[in-house]
Amino acid sequence: MNSDSKLDELFQAYRAACPEVEPSANFMPEIWRRIESRHTFWFVFQKLARTTVTACAAVCLLLVFLNFMPPFENRLVQAPNYTDALMAEHNAESTDFTENIRSATNDEGAPAANNR
Amino acid sequence: MLVEQDVIERARAGDGGAFNDMVLAYRKRIMGTISRLIGRPEDVEDVAQEVFVRLYYSLDQLRTPEVFEPWLYRLTVNAAYDYLRRVKRRNESRMADLSEQQVLMADFLASGRRDGDDRQKGQVREFVDALFQHVSDEDRLLLTLKEVEGLSLKELEKIYRVNENALKVRLFRARQRVLKAHKTATADGNL
Repeated sequence: MNSDSKLDELFQAYRAACPEVEPSANFMPEIWRRIESRHTFWFVFQKLARTTVTACAAVCLLLVFLNFMPPFENRLVQAPNYTDALMAEHNAESTDFTENIRSATNDEGAPAANNR
Repeated sequence: MLVEQDVIERARAGDGGAFNDMVLAYRKRIMGTISRLIGRPEDVEDVAQEVFVRLYYSLDQLRTPEVFEPWLYRLTVNAAYDYLRRVKRRNESRMADLSEQQVLMADFLASGRRDGDDRQKGQVREFVDALFQHVSDEDRLLLTLKEVEGLSLKELEKIYRVNENALKVRLFRARQRVLKAHKTATADGNL
């Protein structure tokens, strides 16, 4: 008898040596107990996972929003500062003054125009 | 199949009664398979319960009722694999605490407690268990399913979702290793 067939025989003997184990009376109740205990754990885990996912999604949205907003420094540069405001005021005053002179000149020359 | 497809569908939908029917139909077959996969009758029920708990939680991933049996076998193989790894870790840590002499004494006392047929069966299990130490746990399970459980390559292909040729190669290599260990053991007079 060669080694291969001896090994096959040994495997068959092993099959016969492994007894058919009969399930105990506690088999089904134990399964349901395990399912219940794992169910509680699973419920807590799912709730925790869902909360984490929601928080992550919120943070992502916030980051995306901030990414598309113009940078704060640029807004400061674009915003008028005190000297700009003064300059604008000065220009407005000189414009008013010039306008007054022009209108006065026009008033003086008006009769002449009427005389023509 | 041992249950109607309708029962599987109902169990998938969350019907506890249908799940009970499934367990009752398959538990003996699964316990027999586990007994041969792990070779330790005292832990068979515990591993079988783990299989059915995993089945309960993974039923919604089952695509069609037709593939239920290979699916159940896959769960069984995975649970047996986890058990073997756990036992190996536990044994390594226990054995590390014992001297060689103490281990021999423990083996002698354990074998002395058994008698007659039980003792012989126990010796066969221990010997095959020792041979399986020469292959990985994955190969041990594959070899047991093929050589001891008598599953065909087609059935193994469905369980492992691996090409038949790849399975053949793995089986051949595992068998060669076990054969080599068997030759060495018989030459040393262990059997």
